[in-house]
Amino acid sequence: MLHNRLIPSLLLEGGRLVKGTKFQDRRDAGRPETTARAHNAQGADELLLLDVTASREGREPDFETIALVAEECFMPLCVGGGVSSAETAMQCMNCGADKIFVNAAAMDRPELINELAERFGSQAVMVGIDVMEANGEAALYDHRTGEVAPRGWKDWMREAASLGAGEIRLMSVDREGTRQSMNTDLLREAEALVDLPVILEGGAGNVADIDRAMTEGATAVAIGTMLVFSDNNIIQIKRHLANHGHNMRH
Amino acid sequence: MTEIAIVDYGAGNLQSVRNALEMAGEDPEIAATPEEILAANRLVIPGVGAAGHAIGRMREAGIDQALNEAIREKARPALGICLGMQLAAAALYEHGENDGLGWIAGDVKHLREVEGVPARVPHMGWNEIEPADGTEELFDAVRGKRSFYFCHSYTLRDAPEDTIAATVAYGVPLVAAIRTGTFFATQFHPEKSQIKGQQLIEAFLEWKP
Repeated sequence: MLHNRLIPSLLLEGGRLVKGTKFQDRRDAGRPETTARAHNAQGADELLLLDVTASREGREPDFETIALVAEECFMPLCVGGGVSSAETAMQCMNCGADKIFVNAAAMDRPELINELAERFGSQAVMVGIDVMEANGEAALYDHRTGEVAPRGWKDWMREAASLGAGEIRLMSVDREGTRQSMNTDLLREAEALVDLPVILEGGAGNVADIDRAMTEGATAVAIGTMLVFSDNNIIQIKRHLANHGHNMRH
Repeated sequence: MTEIAIVDYGAGNLQSVRNALEMAGEDPEIAATPEEILAANRLVIPGVGAAGHAIGRMREAGIDQALNEAIREKARPALGICLGMQLAAAALYEHGENDGLGWIAGDVKHLREVEGVPARVPHMGWNEIEPADGTEELFDAVRGKRSFYFCHSYTLRDAPEDTIAATVAYGVPLVAAIRTGTFFATQFHPEKSQIKGQQLIEAFLEWKP
């Protein structure tokens, strides 16, 4: 059966990697292509690269950096940030991306998901769903405004699935960068609603957090903070998870 | 004659395939016309996306006929990847019904129509394959666990047993690779399967079918 996936999640800003907490306070986190080379060498299952400047400013992603990162990736590379048309997505693919990630642009114009699925196939379309706590409830978050989006996250996720999304990246915004542990309750709710692979991100602070998340049902986990500001590495994390009974490729 | 060419029929990411071949020491050409296809000693047919659109584009450009001539008549070795494997089938059911190249009997169907496959589709991620007997020339080069990257919603069904080169378990056994004549093709992406993928690509480059 399918192995569980461990996916480094990289944020790109001005040609450099950055990392923050709850989408704030970003710090420099190194060079994209050398980081990708290290992750590839260590057997990362995929790579997620999001251009935060492009997304925030509604511009096209940094194609030059995507191409440099793609050259280092002999595993699938999913790219996003500022992708609002099939043409932009095509340029990302031509630079070497294997999958396209959309979030804000799809909330603005849901048909984008369908256009991408028609052009590249659903399996190449990953939709980001960011969820935060608001008044004790889980709410859909718009990272551009930093506020709750007008519609319910479950509704939006179901619509994304029906429009042809092939995969969901579910981000627990409250936990992002906090190392508080991952939100598997949220994951369970999401997996009950859509028959798509769901990648969980947000809150992994140590390998025990990932272990717990997988024990509680996560089959694909994206990590940012753990790989950037610590001594953790992919080999060590995967070995630990495998030793704790998880089906990892290692 | 060029040594090795990647077939361009507008169906996706040639760059990853090029990177993988260059890593293996090759200097691949891109073949977008029948003439360029027929000028290559060895071919790689990549493919991502919808089968229905892809086969249409192949036919418009005369690429289907060139591939038939190069691979089925002139017996040039060829590696098909993902969509590049599915197009060899007889019938394709993505976006309506279309004829494939017809090199092997079998239909390409949505995973949700296959009994026993888990609800979660696409089949997305790394999975371990089971090579069939007689495929040692290709799979022996891959040492240890043979896990490769799969990323598909459609699968080849009812292919003749003697064309199935490997299977993979996703609820039920699915076709992971096929081989017919000088055509070897994988549902998974060897160019995106790190070291094991590279080993398989190198085995293909040495393959004398």
